[in-house]
Amino acid sequence: MGGSSKGDVIVDTNELRFIEGHARLQVRMAGGDTVAEFQNLEGPRFLTKYLVGKPIEMAPMVASRICGLCYTAHSINAAEAIERALGIKVSKEVRELRNVLYLANNLRSHVMHLLYLTLPSIKGVISVLRLRDKDLYEAGTRLLTKSTELIEVWGGRSVHVPNVVVGGFGAVMNGRQLVSSVHELEGLMNDARKFADYAIELDLPELERYRPLGSLRNPGHYPTYAEDASMVLNDGSLLTSDEYYDSITEVTKYYSTSKHAYFRNSELTVGALSRVILNRRHLKPEAKAFAERVEWRMNPFLIIKAQAVEVVHYMEELIAAGQRLGDIMVEPSKEGAASGVNCSATQGEIPDCQGTGRGFFVAEAPRGALCHACEVENGKIKSYKVYTPTAVNSKSIELDAAEFVKKFRPLGVEKMRYILEDMTRAYDPCLSCAVSLDIY
Amino acid sequence: MRLAFYALTSCEGCLTTLITNLGPNVEVLWKMFDIDYFKLVREPVGGTRIPKADIAFVEGAVVTDRDRRTLTEIRKNSSFVVALGTCASSGNIAYAASRDVDFEAKHLRDLEISPAEPLSSLVAVDFELSGCPVSAEEFTEALLRLINSIEPIQPDFSVCYECKSKGNPCLLDAKKVCLGPLAMGGCGAACPTVGSACYSCRGPAMEADLKAYLLTLEKKGIGKEKALMMLRMFTGKKAKELLKDGR
Repeated sequence: MGGSSKGDVIVDTNELRFIEGHARLQVRMAGGDTVAEFQNLEGPRFLTKYLVGKPIEMAPMVASRICGLCYTAHSINAAEAIERALGIKVSKEVRELRNVLYLANNLRSHVMHLLYLTLPSIKGVISVLRLRDKDLYEAGTRLLTKSTELIEVWGGRSVHVPNVVVGGFGAVMNGRQLVSSVHELEGLMNDARKFADYAIELDLPELERYRPLGSLRNPGHYPTYAEDASMVLNDGSLLTSDEYYDSITEVTKYYSTSKHAYFRNSELTVGALSRVILNRRHLKPEAKAFAERVEWRMNPFLIIKAQAVEVVHYMEELIAAGQRLGDIMVEPSKEGAASGVNCSATQGEIPDCQGTGRGFFVAEAPRGALCHACEVENGKIKSYKVYTPTAVNSKSIELDAAEFVKKFRPLGVEKMRYILEDMTRAYDPCLSCAVSLDIY
Repeated sequence: MRLAFYALTSCEGCLTTLITNLGPNVEVLWKMFDIDYFKLVREPVGGTRIPKADIAFVEGAVVTDRDRRTLTEIRKNSSFVVALGTCASSGNIAYAASRDVDFEAKHLRDLEISPAEPLSSLVAVDFELSGCPVSAEEFTEALLRLINSIEPIQPDFSVCYECKSKGNPCLLDAKKVCLGPLAMGGCGAACPTVGSACYSCRGPAMEADLKAYLLTLEKKGIGKEKALMMLRMFTGKKAKELLKDGR
């Protein structure tokens, strides 16, 4: 890779193993200071650029392709951003079903990350299939299979769900059909408990560093997907979602295929740890009990434990949602025909839409607050922007890495390399997502 | 027998589909084969080097110079190369989206980024498993055939075939653009089944007849511009070939 890197490299992870996408972390001495570079090596796919000039109904489908792990978050955020731009209001039932889909996707992503990507390296084995605790692998696989199945039933396919469309859902959604699949979740609660128990007992490195944390706040609830959420920071301040969006600036890095997203020109850590620290009183009872067993500090390694707590929480949320689903029946989206908007949404397509406006939406995707923003002109997309949690967290990853090397240099390069790799992985970075804040 | 799984520029949705949809069968694969490279499942054998493999499954399009170098190495070290998913087989959305980008811009040049291409633009590909994402069942079937020295096959029917057998109402009859008649089946008509148009994410069907399709649109009073735009979306480089033949 080109660029004009300066200074002596102290630690270089080479290509990081067990992460989604391709990246590398280098820590070097530059002008007497220790600096880190979190380099995205993933190629851009120009998806947001592709959307410009296209009809609005294509947004959820194209946005979904940003990521193979949190595709549901991307397609729901895209649908919401477009709906907001056009003043389309969706019904309470559509929101309930989208929430359930969001929860199932966050559950799947967390289990995948913990089981396949995080645990093997922490346990010193080459693969999850070599874990000594066979029961854990089996419990995780059951959770993974079930959450994938839930997404398939509701989304129309297990990956890149076609049923999420602007205005609601493409097909008739009968809550009753979904109840049985949610019911089966109760039988998997033990698996989730086992999983959380295992993660919470892990012995993890100490790497505490004070930094601003951000999580959405949904009054009375633990934040995931909500109609209107604000952003709460660890200094106690509360931002509306618009203010949050306006606080983000894009910074181009010569060493990375994706831009970093700075919050108030500096860092912000989003994701599971920030959510648990800032909102843990709203966790469901069992998850809360697990959370009380951990001393929460600003150590990125604790993201692993926070995700484990959330696995239990998402299960509890899904089971609770299941009890409400029986009464829900959603027709293929027609309610998009909002008053004053020259659009009629049928079967998920909005033909001849002449609407114009700007919209944006933010929700708590697996890795943190995910922002989609768009401008629509005469039914066509005029601009499209995605601020992914990984783009926001990149700065924190770099600062943590530099801090770690400053403190623990006597450990030697080899040891530092492994710990740095584990630390970066704990953030659950997704480079395929991050590259949508691309640099062209 | 040695297997290897790689991802170039992609969302890694195909590899994750294999992991989540194969479920407990991932362990069966692990026991049956030597899986020497699968970044999401194991520490690669030989570190950053590309190991020798009997069958290599490659997800993703070729966008960066790094992709180019990796793919060339994969081809050199693998007896049989399977393109896994639409990015690998046609370039996917990235193909169409990167045609009018200024790749001479300094930062793109510095990062060695070029227009997206399918694997076949760079190396010989032995078999293509299309789909966005790929289907775990088709993957299993192809693998079973390959280990028994039988040539794997692609579905020889269109999306319409599966859509009709599910009894879905035809979207074309409702005057909506749907690429079902042109698109390769095998997906169970996932999109039309939930009322969304088929965008032909698996590339053209063997029987794809663009002239006849455009005539059908005309008869039904549906404009063809949107259909052609949709065709260029997922079908990437293959759309280019199809459009050339159809005119």
